[in-house]
Amino acid sequence: MRRRLRVPNLGGTRAVILHRPHATVTALKRQLQAVGLQVECHWPELPAAARGADYLFIDVDTAHDDQFPWEPGEAPLPTIALIGSEAPGRIEWLMNFGADAQILKPVGDNGVYSALLIARATFDAGIGLAGEIDNLRRRIGQRQTVVQAVALLAARGKTEDAAYEQLRGMAMAWRVSFEEAAARIVASTNEPRGPRTAGGCNLG
Amino acid sequence: MTRNIDVGLLFSTTGPYKLMGQASRAGALKAVDQVNADPTLDVTFSVVERDPGGDIDAYAPLCEEILKSSTARHVIGCTTSWSRKEVIPSLERMGGVLWYPTPYEGFEASDRVVYAHACPNQHLLPLLDHCFADYGKRLYLTGSNYIWGWEMNRIARDVSTRTGAEVLGERYVPIGSTDIARLVDEIAALKPDFVLNQLIGPSQYAFLDAIAELRARDPDFAGRRCPVLSCNMTEAEWPAIGASAEGVISAGPWFRGLTPALPGNEGREDFGSSFEAAAHASIMMLARLLAGNLDAESLSLTELLALPGAEAVGISTRTHHVTLPVAIAQVKNGVFVPVRTYAPTEGDPYLTQMHTNLVQPFLRAVI
Repeated sequence: MRRRLRVPNLGGTRAVILHRPHATVTALKRQLQAVGLQVECHWPELPAAARGADYLFIDVDTAHDDQFPWEPGEAPLPTIALIGSEAPGRIEWLMNFGADAQILKPVGDNGVYSALLIARATFDAGIGLAGEIDNLRRRIGQRQTVVQAVALLAARGKTEDAAYEQLRGMAMAWRVSFEEAAARIVASTNEPRGPRTAGGCNLG
Repeated sequence: MTRNIDVGLLFSTTGPYKLMGQASRAGALKAVDQVNADPTLDVTFSVVERDPGGDIDAYAPLCEEILKSSTARHVIGCTTSWSRKEVIPSLERMGGVLWYPTPYEGFEASDRVVYAHACPNQHLLPLLDHCFADYGKRLYLTGSNYIWGWEMNRIARDVSTRTGAEVLGERYVPIGSTDIARLVDEIAALKPDFVLNQLIGPSQYAFLDAIAELRARDPDFAGRRCPVLSCNMTEAEWPAIGASAEGVISAGPWFRGLTPALPGNEGREDFGSSFEAAAHASIMMLARLLAGNLDAESLSLTELLALPGAEAVGISTRTHHVTLPVAIAQVKNGVFVPVRTYAPTEGDPYLTQMHTNLVQPFLRAVI
């Protein structure tokens, strides 16, 4: 897949750094301010207001789950890992906690801008994917309903293929998803008064 | 007591972009003479010079040679972004500072570099703004195949998308190549409202010659139709371009004849081009920062810019970019005639600030 980068508007956005006072923080802060961000540094507690920031930088060398007011893997903002020690235990912690981009320490003169762009794009892509997965899960869950609806339509003398096509036509006419159309048909058939109530559908 | 301080010069006065290198070098030397003759300053400069000859792989070793073989910590130099990026690791390793007096594509704010010429909010954005209003919104992008062309055209594409302009085509030429027939054929066929040209050196010269021929034979390109734009053409390159420069619209901090020149020139205007003016201003700004501050030459750039009074020099402590006037000028009868000028504007390398009216329309369109 070819991705086209959309450069986010970074001017005036907020970055939060969770790291003890250190030369790394100084260098990071300078770069972030040069790009145009507002920077807040916290240690060791991350205040609840950090949720409202636009980017979070975490110190993988010292971070632990209790510092964050959310569950591992559920960060509500793009997160950038500052990695010093490459000990496998720390990398394992990072993989479980989840980050959208990383910078190796010591932080020098560059690396921050690309990390911001990559973290934002990865975070947004993650949200998009999560939505898509939810949607697919829901549709898989409705598979049985589709089978029922096709069976109902076929019971009126159509082949299964023709019933399937009819269902597709209904979904288009009602401007709903295939699964939603199937749900309406099943629901209308189950109603005691007959099939003509849901969305004006006509099973004839 | 007057201190004599070594300063490095690292310009290519030979090779494909020698005209620009020579202009920058001339400006720097002019300023060195001025500083050395000024009894009110307690510093004089000795020049330690190397010439990379346009060879990209010579920049870093020669920069290190300057820093090793002398007490110089400040180097004025580099014409291309590529060479600037090559010397930054050497500067970091050896505690040097580069004064870079050439227009560039932005998206950098090194702790080791002063950016003394224009970046996109000081050249490209006002230039596009002007040409969208005056010529139309169908544009063609071209450039040499390296970071300047790629990044400048990416910004132009971005701005075009945001403002409803249409990019009809985009084509690159290898650095040094004069094989531009296909490019000109495409422009002749597409008939854009203007061409944004980020070609450098011989490619640009060949391109402008070919466009001049196109204008002579095709009425759709005659007169003031479909101008060619540039963000780095100055008077310095005219000896190589000749009459084909006619009609080019360029953006920069200063063109010959405009008053005053750059803030760092301190009233002086006897420069051949903004390349010369920006290099002169770099040395003058350095002299102002060092004068009266004993041992200031051993300070890092951050420390130097934090000294009392340093702010007045005009270098942003946040981005290390310089506040510069903005001018748009068109070549008419062999001279740049100003079309529009704007008040001095702070350099905004990441295009994240909304402090200028200039870029506001673009930024508003995003939200």
